[in-house]
Amino acid sequence: MPTRVDISLPPIRSDFQGFTTLVNLAERVNSLEYSPIALDMSAANWVDANMCAPLGAILYRASHQLNMVRFEHLTERVQKIFQKNGFLSFYGHAKKVDEWGTTIQYQSFETKDDRFFGAYIEQHFKNKAIPEMSEALRKKFWESIFELFSNAVIHSKTELGIFTCGQYFPNKKHIDFAIADLGIGISQTLIDKKGLNLPPEEAIDWAMEGRNTTKTGSIPGGLGLKLLREFIRLNRGRIQAVSFTGYWEQCADGTIVKKTLPYPFPGTVVNIEINTADTNSYILSTEHKPEDLF
Amino acid sequence: MSDIITLRIYEIVGSSLCVASQDGQKVFEQIQQALKDGKNVRLSFQNVESLTSAFLNAAIGQLYGFFDNDLLKERLSVTNIEKDDLALLKRVIDTAKQYFKDPAVIEAVRREAMGDDDE
Repeated sequence: MPTRVDISLPPIRSDFQGFTTLVNLAERVNSLEYSPIALDMSAANWVDANMCAPLGAILYRASHQLNMVRFEHLTERVQKIFQKNGFLSFYGHAKKVDEWGTTIQYQSFETKDDRFFGAYIEQHFKNKAIPEMSEALRKKFWESIFELFSNAVIHSKTELGIFTCGQYFPNKKHIDFAIADLGIGISQTLIDKKGLNLPPEEAIDWAMEGRNTTKTGSIPGGLGLKLLREFIRLNRGRIQAVSFTGYWEQCADGTIVKKTLPYPFPGTVVNIEINTADTNSYILSTEHKPEDLF
Repeated sequence: MSDIITLRIYEIVGSSLCVASQDGQKVFEQIQQALKDGKNVRLSFQNVESLTSAFLNAAIGQLYGFFDNDLLKERLSVTNIEKDDLALLKRVIDTAKQYFKDPAVIEAVRREAMGDDDE
């Protein structure tokens, strides 16, 4: 009978340290099979709700390898976060009502679930407190999320799914949203499609550049992440991307941070933070005429 | 009989969320057929609420791998499109034109069309 594996987790925030915690966990559970895995959460007095997406991806893979995952000693605060966004429902706990309507539920999708994903986004952004933002910003935000989902569908080659979760912080006036996949990662995609062997954080940087694309077939690509970057720069929000051992961040002032994680994430995560107090119109300065389009 | 036909994107996709590449492919196939049949195509974006570059790349960007730029300029038009969606579409088209300048890409598309592509 396999022995129980005990892993203690510290607080997990949307930063390099938070992702380091997650890849350490991924490394610990990577080769386990048929093992009871107990996650001791007594030291985790905070977990950013959006980080449930990459955490859920890692644990989904562990469950797929027939391990039995359970959370133990959850602090009241983290238990509440995990129950409100539905994360703990996957691990044998009851769901809690989100009385303020500020959570974007933890959810897993298959790559063919585009419509289901659309319904999920609509459900969380219509008739809810999320958020008090301008119509132009809401539209850009939705588009960004859809671009991210499409990107995961087109490029990740994930067979185990796509995981999403988010949270609205009314007082801080921002929304955090993360999307994680269990695919081959950006650096491997670059090797496979372009023969380009870059360190993982440089591979992310390459993918974030405009007009760079690994697409080779009849459908062009290469705009989605660039559009996302531009929008978040104007919005003074943040983007973090983690793929394999690469960590890449565009900070609120536009600076780029690139680092190497100690172990690989088993896929790709993109985490965005949107400033909801933004009143930019997002109408581009260059006006286009339909007759000059093609 | 008029040789201009209007294709309503909302009707083809069946939703106001025009975000998935697969849905873009459905739009592409209809435009491609109509252009092959010698029609002029007017694309209506009425009731479309969300668009992505992934959708537009499949629906429209892809056309530049199959038809000449001049032909598309002459026979394709858009209507009922919002200003910011028009700006996005313009970028998709400019990116597609750039993408299909590469002869290797055109060769890959040809192979794909012949069914001997491995993707």
